[in-house]
Amino acid sequence: MIEFKNVTKSFEKNTSDALKDVSLFIDKGEFVFLVGRSGAGKSTFIKLLLREIDATKGSIYINNYNVANLSKKEIPYLRRKMGIVFQDFRLLESKSVYENVAYAMEIIGKPEKQIQKRVPLALDMVGLSHRINHYPHELSGGEQQRVVIARAIINNPSILICDEPTGNLDPETSYEIICILEEINRRGTTVVVVTHDREIVDKMKKRVLTLEDGILKVDDATGRYGYEV
Amino acid sequence: MKFSSLKTMPHNVIRDTLKSIERNNLMSAASVLSVIAALIILGIFLILTINVQQVTKDVESKLELKVFFQSSYTEAQKSTIEDALKNSSMIESVNFESAQEALDKFTVSLEDYAPLLSGYNSQNNPMPASFIIRVKDPRDLQAVQTLAMTFKDNGVEYVRYGQEYVEALVTFNKFTNTLSIVVLAVLSLISIFIIYNTIKLTVFARRKEIGIMKYVGATNAYIRAPFILEGTLLGLMGAVVAFLIIRIAYYYILGLVGGNLFLPVDASLASPDVVMTQLVFFFLIYGGFIGAVGSVFAIRKFLDV
Repeated sequence: MIEFKNVTKSFEKNTSDALKDVSLFIDKGEFVFLVGRSGAGKSTFIKLLLREIDATKGSIYINNYNVANLSKKEIPYLRRKMGIVFQDFRLLESKSVYENVAYAMEIIGKPEKQIQKRVPLALDMVGLSHRINHYPHELSGGEQQRVVIARAIINNPSILICDEPTGNLDPETSYEIICILEEINRRGTTVVVVTHDREIVDKMKKRVLTLEDGILKVDDATGRYGYEV
Repeated sequence: MKFSSLKTMPHNVIRDTLKSIERNNLMSAASVLSVIAALIILGIFLILTINVQQVTKDVESKLELKVFFQSSYTEAQKSTIEDALKNSSMIESVNFESAQEALDKFTVSLEDYAPLLSGYNSQNNPMPASFIIRVKDPRDLQAVQTLAMTFKDNGVEYVRYGQEYVEALVTFNKFTNTLSIVVLAVLSLISIFIIYNTIKLTVFARRKEIGIMKYVGATNAYIRAPFILEGTLLGLMGAVVAFLIIRIAYYYILGLVGGNLFLPVDASLASPDVVMTQLVFFFLIYGGFIGAVGSVFAIRKFLDV
């Protein structure tokens, strides 16, 4: 569950606000697209969710916790509730597919036995069982993104945030990736996909939030793009 | 760092740390060398300080104060003075040495030249009788001297102790202490700075990994641990090598000098084994500490995600 209540974010350098009085509610188990042109405030939205930055005004709730009230030490635990998929993958080149996914469990102190059990399951879910011992540079873009998704869901987050997950992929691969995300959503995880891949958005007929110049312009439940390109 | 994060560290952290030191071999070598250089210089000053302290303590503990009597002193005067001295809380012991005992002692100390004194006997003995006083604290020597001097011309001729030596030694002791602290501060800053730069390279090389760790929810302590381990390891390596060099050099120099101090007082150097024990503990703690401090500074900026 994600809730923004009149959130404004301004940066000292810029005269106009990155987000202006944004209020929105994303319920548990929803699948939501967040669209908008470059500079519309999409990155700011994600950074606020991860509490990389603090809101200037308003409040943000994740699973009923007010994010602003978390101390610095509690931020890692907030992030463990969220899985993140990046446009540029951010895989460790020196580690194999298995190790990259296992890494996310290792660093939050999960026991080795549990890691050995869960990593193959997650890789199976994204359809990469046959690539388990390959290294990132041996994989295609779509395969790399599947590894990233496996890594993002390995710790069972309640929310999966995807920042332009199909930005570097061809249309066909993009569709496959979105289908994996939809499958993850079907199993109960809230999925937020930030994108400007119009084709995908039109195809999926999911709820679409449109940001324009920091303002939440359209909140459409039937999947229409909120602005013309 | 919280203990819980140590327990949950993957077992390959040590292997990764060694790999990282190897990858930055040039900077790592520079760090270890700078720690070695700093610790050798520090070690020289430390050995100097320990020995000067030892000599000063030794000399001070051997110091005694002599209250010489006038040749015309009376038994009544002697007991008045003795009571006054024994009532003072500063004084450890008071021993009487008669004129005859003083002459005998002097005769013995002259050894082969003793016949020179053969013309003297109890009738024409030139040596004065005296009280030999030991004080509890060498710093009270001056005060005891003043106390004894109140009886001047009431039986006491004069009072003396090795004042010049003590003052010179205490001054020198203070000087070496201050110098050691200054050297310690300057060299620490240099070593920390070099280790800081080395670890910064490591951190930079692994910034992607750090970013991923942060997004997956690793705690700061967990992210920091391997870098602090690496810095500490570099510091410890420098400490071990520096200690071995200092140890070999010190025993070699001691062998050359043969315990001869060229000092005008009777005092001994600190035992080499004691000095080396102190040194090895200091080196290990110091090396590890500056390594850890350098690393903490190096990673601070990158943790701010």
